[in-house]
Amino acid sequence: MAEPLLGLIGEFGTADALLAAARQAKSDGFQRIDAFSPYPIEGMADVLALKHDHRIGWITIAGGLFGIFGMLAIQLFVNWDYPIEVGGRPLLAWPAFAVVDFELMILCAVLFAVVGMFVIIGLPRLHHPLFSTPRFGLASDDRFFLYVDARDPKFDANATRTYLGSLGAWTVQPVQP
Amino acid sequence: MATRTPALPLDQSLHDITTDIGRIPLRFPARIPWLIAFILSLALLTLFLASITYLFARGVGIWGLNIPVNWAFAIHLYVWWLGLGHAGTLISAMLLLMGQDWRNSLNRFAEAMTVCAVICAGMEPIIHLGRPWFLYWMFPYPATMGVWPQFRSPLEWDIWAVLTYLTVSIIFWYIGLVPDLATVRDRAKKRGWQLFFGIFALGWRGSARHWAVWQKTYRTIAAIAVPLVVSVHSEVSLLFASGQIPGWHSTIFPPYFVLGAAYSGFAMVAMIAVVMRHTFRLGDIVTERHLDVLAKVTLAMGMMTAYGYVFEVFDGYYSGNAHEIATIHDRFFGIYAWSFWGAVIFNFIPLQGLWLRSVRRNPVLLFLIATSSVIGMWLERYMILVTSLYKDFLPSSFGHYTPTFWDWSTYIGMLGLFMTPFLLFVRYLPSISIFEDKEVLAREKEEAGRG
Repeated sequence: MAEPLLGLIGEFGTADALLAAARQAKSDGFQRIDAFSPYPIEGMADVLALKHDHRIGWITIAGGLFGIFGMLAIQLFVNWDYPIEVGGRPLLAWPAFAVVDFELMILCAVLFAVVGMFVIIGLPRLHHPLFSTPRFGLASDDRFFLYVDARDPKFDANATRTYLGSLGAWTVQPVQP
Repeated sequence: MATRTPALPLDQSLHDITTDIGRIPLRFPARIPWLIAFILSLALLTLFLASITYLFARGVGIWGLNIPVNWAFAIHLYVWWLGLGHAGTLISAMLLLMGQDWRNSLNRFAEAMTVCAVICAGMEPIIHLGRPWFLYWMFPYPATMGVWPQFRSPLEWDIWAVLTYLTVSIIFWYIGLVPDLATVRDRAKKRGWQLFFGIFALGWRGSARHWAVWQKTYRTIAAIAVPLVVSVHSEVSLLFASGQIPGWHSTIFPPYFVLGAAYSGFAMVAMIAVVMRHTFRLGDIVTERHLDVLAKVTLAMGMMTAYGYVFEVFDGYYSGNAHEIATIHDRFFGIYAWSFWGAVIFNFIPLQGLWLRSVRRNPVLLFLIATSSVIGMWLERYMILVTSLYKDFLPSSFGHYTPTFWDWSTYIGMLGLFMTPFLLFVRYLPSISIFEDKEVLAREKEEAGRG
């Protein structure tokens, strides 16, 4: 084969077929597989063992803490640096500070979560070899795809092609760079 | 699972949903009505720009406000716009977390409505500043003058609350939109559309790994957005409570404001749902059941708002405070009694029709009742401000407030500021969530298959 091959992608008609195929491939020892679907499929994360990724939660918590304490520090500092006496009211007015602290906690938590998400999933990435694979555009319509990477230890161009067919794939396409 | 009626008709396929919604931006169906609406909203926007240009040149004196009524249209509309926006977040976030499938046909345009309404809401305190070009003084930056903003002032609460709410609404709306932008990108035939949607879809390809992380993030933001809504409108009510005027100190204020906001917002979503369903013939996506549920939620929110009215009056009398009681009497019988009774009538009389199933499922009646609710809440916010402010503690400082031409022109023009971005959204982006509706359809088909 002169053509370099990144992997093979099999097309399935339903979410259940894809889920079953992914489960089968996983139990048959394939490791570098990925699934593509027009909507999130319940149970797919379990099959691909993605369930225990709690990074987003921790990033969000870190953002929230950063926001609330960062803003509180700013409020304390500006009142200390430029004190404004209003009718003898306390300079450090905790209840009045709480509103803005709460809002900044939420703002930073959300910003951290979104930036964290994009970093983790590696987007934006406007081009990807999959986009030039015929029929892959249907992954955002009503088709479901199972991808086996060529770097998988069990990968073999011909055997894997047959294997994907045996899992019930309607078409199997090579993914080329 | 025969007990649950499906939200979407089962005789359509996943592909039907793609084409039904995806066709709207790519081959826009209602060109002429859209163009008429767009020209109208541009005209209103022009009126708004003219009004604020004159406002910036002459100052807030062109409005009817003066001591004692120094908060009028700008603040009353700030509360009103912000309230309209809240339903979008509640539909999207709260109902997502509660697993309410029916929200999937409504959340996208409800969120867009939120973003547009919050833009208008944020504009109100800014143009009320008097010297809006000093807006940046609200941010803590190391100024050469050595001064800092005053964080004990409710004005600071406003700017941070609105800024946070606007940012979070846009982010939540956008990351929910990304998978659908990818769908439209893959359907687009013309180069320009492919580029436009390609760039904004960020290269989304529907990988299971991406979905897993995306779903966690989306749900996390949803969980954060619900308390955000409550905090933002509570903050607005605390804005009143931090003044000394009678009529602004009832302890029910924060929930009363939040519920009133949600009430007007759900009514607004119902109005938009009816119009979009009719204009784009989306009867299979926004079904009668959606209208039915939306009407039920509006009814529930409306009745809770009514409880707020009752309790506010009770609270005034129970306080035994002569000024509080006088304000209640002014609301009932004073020269602004029309705003109180108008709010009661518009808010709660037509609303009772929604107890009937046939009314809930009738788009025209639902639209009219929702319009009445939005007008009622407009009057309520006016009533809360003006009836409290025009008579405070000393008869010597009693006064009146009459909106001027410029009050009205700024408000009516601002409807253009709301409608213009919303119409652009409807025209150029998938205004109903494609992938979330597919998710619902797939699940319902599976349940139907199991019997």
